[in-house]
Amino acid sequence: MNPVAQVILDGIFTGSTYALIAAGLALILGVVKVVNLSHGAFFSLGAYVAYVLSTKGVTHPAAAALFACVIAFAFGVFLGKSFINPLRSHPFSVAVGSLGFAILFEQAAQILWGPHPVSIGAGPPWAVVSGVVVRRWGAVSLLASVVVLLGLALLLSSRWGLPIKLVAEEEEVAGSVGMDVEKIRYLTFGFASAAAAVAGALLAPAVSIAPTMGRVPLILSLIVVVASGMENVGAIFLLAVGLGLLSNLSAYLVSPQWSYVSLLSVICLLLVLRPMGLSATPLGRDY
Amino acid sequence: MDGFQRKATGALALGAGLLLLLPLAGVDLFLLDVLTTGFLLACYVGSWDIVGGVAGQISLGHALFFGTSTYACALLTSLAGWPFAAAAASAILLSTVAAAVVGTVSARLKGPFIALLTLALGELVHEVMLGQTFFSPREGYSWGGEGGVPVTLPWKALSPWAAYYLGLLFLFLAALGMTRIARSKEGLIWTAIAGSELTARASGVDIARHKRRAFLAAGALAGAAGVGFAAYVGRATSADFSLELSFQAATFSAIGGRGTIVGPVLTALALHAVLQGAGFPPAARVLLYALALLLTLRFFPEGVAGTLRSRLRARRMVSEGADR
Repeated sequence: MNPVAQVILDGIFTGSTYALIAAGLALILGVVKVVNLSHGAFFSLGAYVAYVLSTKGVTHPAAAALFACVIAFAFGVFLGKSFINPLRSHPFSVAVGSLGFAILFEQAAQILWGPHPVSIGAGPPWAVVSGVVVRRWGAVSLLASVVVLLGLALLLSSRWGLPIKLVAEEEEVAGSVGMDVEKIRYLTFGFASAAAAVAGALLAPAVSIAPTMGRVPLILSLIVVVASGMENVGAIFLLAVGLGLLSNLSAYLVSPQWSYVSLLSVICLLLVLRPMGLSATPLGRDY
Repeated sequence: MDGFQRKATGALALGAGLLLLLPLAGVDLFLLDVLTTGFLLACYVGSWDIVGGVAGQISLGHALFFGTSTYACALLTSLAGWPFAAAAASAILLSTVAAAVVGTVSARLKGPFIALLTLALGELVHEVMLGQTFFSPREGYSWGGEGGVPVTLPWKALSPWAAYYLGLLFLFLAALGMTRIARSKEGLIWTAIAGSELTARASGVDIARHKRRAFLAAGALAGAAGVGFAAYVGRATSADFSLELSFQAATFSAIGGRGTIVGPVLTALALHAVLQGAGFPPAARVLLYALALLLTLRFFPEGVAGTLRSRLRARRMVSEGADR
């Protein structure tokens, strides 16, 4: 039994799942051009879907992921189409409104499932390699994350991804050649939200499921998005895994609440020390 | 003074008269308590509107200044044994210093990134306070964490009527001060920055300095609200730093009408009094606030006071045109 190796392996599993959330947030920043603070709530939504299913006796990760994916896609399209799209040129409305959605979900979850953390059984380990337990959810989520991110990278480099890239970079041109820019925006929002919920459903056995659980992946994804960009999917993956390791190690070495504190410190330092680096993002322009 | 302000003054006088009369009309103690905390909350929300509304800086960490003040009051009186007046003065000073730091580090950032930074700073301090134990007495609960730190007050028990009228007076003075600040020359510069940073800079305004001043004024006022809260409730808890509290400031301002000071103050007072007076638990209350916020942002982006003002101005312009 090697605790540090175990923490590192679990950190890689967690981090690779966080990459799914971060990639979605990066897409929203690139295509819809808003900083979406409700993204963490979709992660919590996925985890609670997995929890509710497990209390009904459904414990297969794929079932939870599928359910979470469909529900979050519906909510994401609604949010993107009827709230974010009409307000996207008002930074105040987007920031406070998307935070409002996150708080709305947190309070609803607190009323529905109680303020105290719940958990679901992790199931039998998938394999044990020289004392290090390879957990089933970990293997599944790493695989899912790699497949989805590879798919995204392929999409962005292929002909099919051109509309997305065009809306991201030249929205007037995209509109003038007959693309439905609004539709591409809310569909992107829906897919990104679905990805976050899938990540939540897959990570549910590994975390304590609580109303405010979405804040950690939100901050982590914001760091990734601010530091990399939308297109470099590989950089998003590596950064998310690195931050997942950092948060798991600080939880193991200091205390669990320090994983959130360490991530918050990283984003504060990033914003304070590199304010000029942010101008590379589409929000760097003057309002 | 335009038509909106004249009508608003009449309505405000009526409201003040009702609030002054209420305790004499035999209202029960529960409602008095709800309204007294409502006065302090309204003052805190008004202080957000200075930086978030008038100066247009999207701050999502305003509870940081409020919590700094309540914790300073609690720790300085209970742990260091200072007299309350000295602790209160230092608390306001400390929250102003905190605001100066936030204003300085966020001055170079824009729009959503100020929101991110202030949110992260607020959450950072909240998490640290949640895990911090300041003092473990031999018997009883230790001080810190979710339970918070008690404030040692110079009086045994304040009469609820006295607290009510003091709170009302405090809110009245604070609101008067805040509207004065918003209409001063400095407030005009803040409004210009909120309108367009680029235009303000082109007119020769030192943006970073004025943004920092807006944070300073808002931090000092939030600190004053925090002192009032510490004195009334007698305890500083980690909830004073919570994201929910920061969110409420932005929410009430958006619903009331950002940058109008009076709108956010009255909205905070009214919504808090109605929902808490009706006995909703905190989770349901914050949920309803969030719902009201989303509907307001979507359908009345200027908020209640802002929409009313625009309507009245539009009507006046139409009638002036007809006279001509």
